[in-house]
Amino acid sequence: MSTTVLTKKKTEANVGMSQVVMLEEGELAKSVLGSCIGLVLYHERRKIAAVCHIVLPESLDRPGPPGKFADTAIPHMLELLVKQGGNRAGLIAKLAGGSNMFGSNGPLQIGEANYNMVKDLLEELGIPLVGKHIGGEKGRRILFDSQTGELKVEMMGEPAVIL
Amino acid sequence: MFDVTTTDPSLNLLGQMFAAATEHASVAMSGWTSGQVTLSLDEVQEIPLEEASSVLDMGDDLLTMVALGIQGDPGGQLILAFDETNGRQLAASLLGREVCEEPEWSALEQSAIMETGNILASAYLNELTRLTDRNLSPSAPAFLQDYGASVLEQAIMAQAMVSDRVLLCRTRFEFKKRAMNWSVFFVPSQELVRSMNHALYAE
Repeated sequence: MSTTVLTKKKTEANVGMSQVVMLEEGELAKSVLGSCIGLVLYHERRKIAAVCHIVLPESLDRPGPPGKFADTAIPHMLELLVKQGGNRAGLIAKLAGGSNMFGSNGPLQIGEANYNMVKDLLEELGIPLVGKHIGGEKGRRILFDSQTGELKVEMMGEPAVIL
Repeated sequence: MFDVTTTDPSLNLLGQMFAAATEHASVAMSGWTSGQVTLSLDEVQEIPLEEASSVLDMGDDLLTMVALGIQGDPGGQLILAFDETNGRQLAASLLGREVCEEPEWSALEQSAIMETGNILASAYLNELTRLTDRNLSPSAPAFLQDYGASVLEQAIMAQAMVSDRVLLCRTRFEFKKRAMNWSVFFVPSQELVRSMNHALYAE
């Protein structure tokens, strides 16, 4: 006699540029990154997370949703997490991205500036950055699993890395 | 015929300018490929930044691309994108050879594809130069194999710095009279769009 085991398909959210996605336990989020930063703030005990696709380091009164800029995205993510019971003390951070897609002669060198701003803000807030995969000249595809807290990072032609 | 996905009627006029540049590029491509390849503008879109990759259906597929910057003050990016099969098919056609089965692209294949991007961009920008009276020329082409959405993200970065909406033009190709899964994404800077608008309303 055979038994069929039905498993519920996990919800997988796509995080577009400037977007912030909240995950509850068991939910997944994916994104494709170039010079942008994919930032995960994860509450390990509650297994909830905020995932953001940060485009630029500073808002400087420019237009856009809070997730677009590092200096507005991180406070916004914290606010959303606290509302869901994820106090700051239990948070860890993981991130990927910040590449320079068109090489050193490209029109903009924004990837490094994005990473530096996110790193500095996390330090100021006392949120430990426990995993990062940054830089280079290739894009990245990321997948975060709120059940395990694992951030899978793929780059073309290289083995996947789990943060 | 191209579609305009916007509430801004001025984009319709801009679309006509992009269509003229595309027609110019199509003539150049037809000459370069002995009449095998033609292209036409099918979309001009102004969309929220966060929807760019999903609206353009870039997904997370790996693509072969030629990226060229627009040199000079106005700026912008032009990206010629293929999936692996279509890119290899074009390279083989241009080189008069069978489609290469090797996983790595040879220097000759890369050169053929980059030259295609160069010819296309030069023709496109020549027409825009004529229409806007701004000096627009392409940078050296870069051969890229990467996630399409990653490259598009970098290409629209200049627009993202000043706006939360992006203006993109998408072009469709025909190869031997068949529609192909190749695309050109033209991402003008806001400065270039202003120049185009100025030229349109000065007429």
